[in-house]
Amino acid sequence: MVAGKDKIDREEEDMTVKIRFFARFRELLGTEIITEVTAGTTFISLIAATAEKNSEGYQAIFDEKGAFRDFVILMKNGRRIDIADAAKTSVNDGDEIAVFPPVAGG
Amino acid sequence: MIAIQTDDVDIGTLITEAKKQGTGAVVVFDGIVRDDDITEMELEAYEDIAKQELEKISREATERFSLLHVDIIHRIGRLGIGENILIIVVAAGHREEAYAGSRHIIEAVKAGVPVWKKELTKDGGRWVPGENPHGNPKTR
Repeated sequence: MVAGKDKIDREEEDMTVKIRFFARFRELLGTEIITEVTAGTTFISLIAATAEKNSEGYQAIFDEKGAFRDFVILMKNGRRIDIADAAKTSVNDGDEIAVFPPVAGG
Repeated sequence: MIAIQTDDVDIGTLITEAKKQGTGAVVVFDGIVRDDDITEMELEAYEDIAKQELEKISREATERFSLLHVDIIHRIGRLGIGENILIIVVAAGHREEAYAGSRHIIEAVKAGVPVWKKELTKDGGRWVPGENPHGNPKTR
């Protein structure tokens, strides 16, 4: 019983995700951040906790109510996540999360 | 050839190699760093995803417009005024498909491929705003 709990705790401690910011968000928050997460961490809570380290970066991504600004684009492992789903989408061990402003190539 | 790269390409060679059997028209789009009172342009990409998106756009355009050949090369890094940013070479049996395919590809690239441009000026720089301000390109 105890051994089983220890195993779960270790697995939770071992969960890491990579967050990648691009363009203006990268300038404010860094290129690539590898961080540990606990089970059940949501997309929005992870990015908010990471962005809080730079107030300008946080304000670039979140509005005054703490919601994603509507132009922010989110990806998890190369697939788009709608910002409306960010509060109910969990991150998992090994995930690559990308956060960026509207694209402007070409 | 589908690529995100820093190096320039030889457009003449691309045209030669695009002329597959049955080709009646080749259309080249060459997006260039314009002199908008800037010193240079800096481009960055979410490279893996951008390349996958370019490959998807190429497949879709090939099928929809019966294209015989597609090259899309998007450059990243620092580029000077007059340098090539994006080269699209499309070959088709007829001009209608070639023009339409080329136009479709450039609009799809602008709508959904994760690439960003920063115009560098004497006073600093400014990020070029995207054309899909709500982040929901129609191509997705």
